[in-house]
Amino acid sequence: MDKVIEIKNLTKSYGNGRGINDISLDIFKGDIFGFLGPNGAGKTTAMKIMTGLVRPDFGDVKIFGYSVSEEFEKAMENVGCLIEIAESYQYLSAFENLKQLARYYPKVDHKRIDEVLELTGLIKFKNEKSKKFSLGMKQRLGLAAAVLSKPKVVILDEPLNGLDVEGMIDIRKMIRYLTETEQTTFFISSHLIHDVELTCTRIGVIYNGKMLNVESTHTILKNYATLENYFVSEVERNGRVPSSID
Amino acid sequence: MAVFQAALINEIEKLYKKKKVLVAVLLSLAVIVIGQLAIVGVRSGLGLRGAGSLEFPMLVLSVFVNTVLPLFTALVAIDSFSGEFTQHTMRITLTRPVSRFKIFCAKITAIMLFILGALLLLLVFSVLAGLIFNTNSATLDSFSRTIFSYIVSLFPMLVLALGIVLLANIFKSGITVFFVSIIIFLTFKVLGLIFSQYSSILLTTQLDWYNLFLVNSFPFAKIVRQFLIMLGSGMMLFTTGFYLYDKKEF
Repeated sequence: MDKVIEIKNLTKSYGNGRGINDISLDIFKGDIFGFLGPNGAGKTTAMKIMTGLVRPDFGDVKIFGYSVSEEFEKAMENVGCLIEIAESYQYLSAFENLKQLARYYPKVDHKRIDEVLELTGLIKFKNEKSKKFSLGMKQRLGLAAAVLSKPKVVILDEPLNGLDVEGMIDIRKMIRYLTETEQTTFFISSHLIHDVELTCTRIGVIYNGKMLNVESTHTILKNYATLENYFVSEVERNGRVPSSID
Repeated sequence: MAVFQAALINEIEKLYKKKKVLVAVLLSLAVIVIGQLAIVGVRSGLGLRGAGSLEFPMLVLSVFVNTVLPLFTALVAIDSFSGEFTQHTMRITLTRPVSRFKIFCAKITAIMLFILGALLLLLVFSVLAGLIFNTNSATLDSFSRTIFSYIVSLFPMLVLALGIVLLANIFKSGITVFFVSIIIFLTFKVLGLIFSQYSSILLTTQLDWYNLFLVNSFPFAKIVRQFLIMLGSGMMLFTTGFYLYDKKEF
């Protein structure tokens, strides 16, 4: 299988003691990878390093063989992402916001902008300034921005934040559609276990900045009744290790 | 180059859409109108000449480069950096296939174009106001010197902008950057008055360097020296500013 993202010994520690420690991970073409972990486990830190927003203390991330820290432009050429909160320029309309991004991709034209606005259900609000948008609408705009350039890899940090049930279903459908039709690879972080179970094909559990295990959803559900059971057992197993040493 | 171009167009669009440019235009016009009213007032009230047609644009420039323009340059530079840091909109650009160096350069270029635009606009309006309202003393030579004075004022203003960009990459809050900039600006002004023999190395003195181009015996050596001082400080400010920007985590 084609390796799309290669994370090697990624380490980053912050002053408050949090961060990530020696994470190594391979993501393959067509994967919908779920990055599961509780709040503060290090999901966002890892994703920020993957998208060049933060530099690692040690280790590297390669996307399509290009190092994010050394060949940033090449590494990001086929990547779309939404990190933490979906930000937009409040004084620009939804269309203008996407047009700003479209300028970095020669193949993205006005038709494609309309297409992603349609895909995320924002076409009605195309010319409305994003400052008037609700949290869910902003999230949809962020998702539209992430898939605008028809990227081969999409990195989404908590993509369902602020979305209503209908929105969640829409986004789940969109992710599946893009994987099936365009072989897009997704790297999604979430603390919503049920949603990860429904959407992702492979799951990695991160806890206290450490990668506990990576397994396919299919295998997990064969051995455990729900993903929640698997997650709890993985976390408990990890939690017992230090106490047994003490 | 195409990526830099895209980044630059984006920066210009953001500047234009935020309506800061419109406010800058209106304020520039206000400076001209107030200045012109003052000249007319002096002339009719005290019977003094005030300013000739091409002296008026120079009078406007001397006021503008020491007050309104540094203020607007600071606002635009702070908004372009601190504003985007605090609103987290910097991430939108940073996660695209464009290097931080290109984004930094695009932002600086957009600020430079803003300053140039403001200077040219002021030139056009002040020349028109001068020709319409004041006694005609225009010659081709003085006219070209006026244009030149406006254009060369871009250099010190750009160095000032680079200084503010550096501060914006040091301090988190835009308001802190604004006040620190004002304090440094005023300190330099006072230092320039106290240690006048060393004033030529201070940025605030260089804001008036266009005066060197108005002297009849063209002070070539002095102009080159001033230019090199500005170039040197500009390069240091640019490099330090970019170093901090490149190291920043978002």
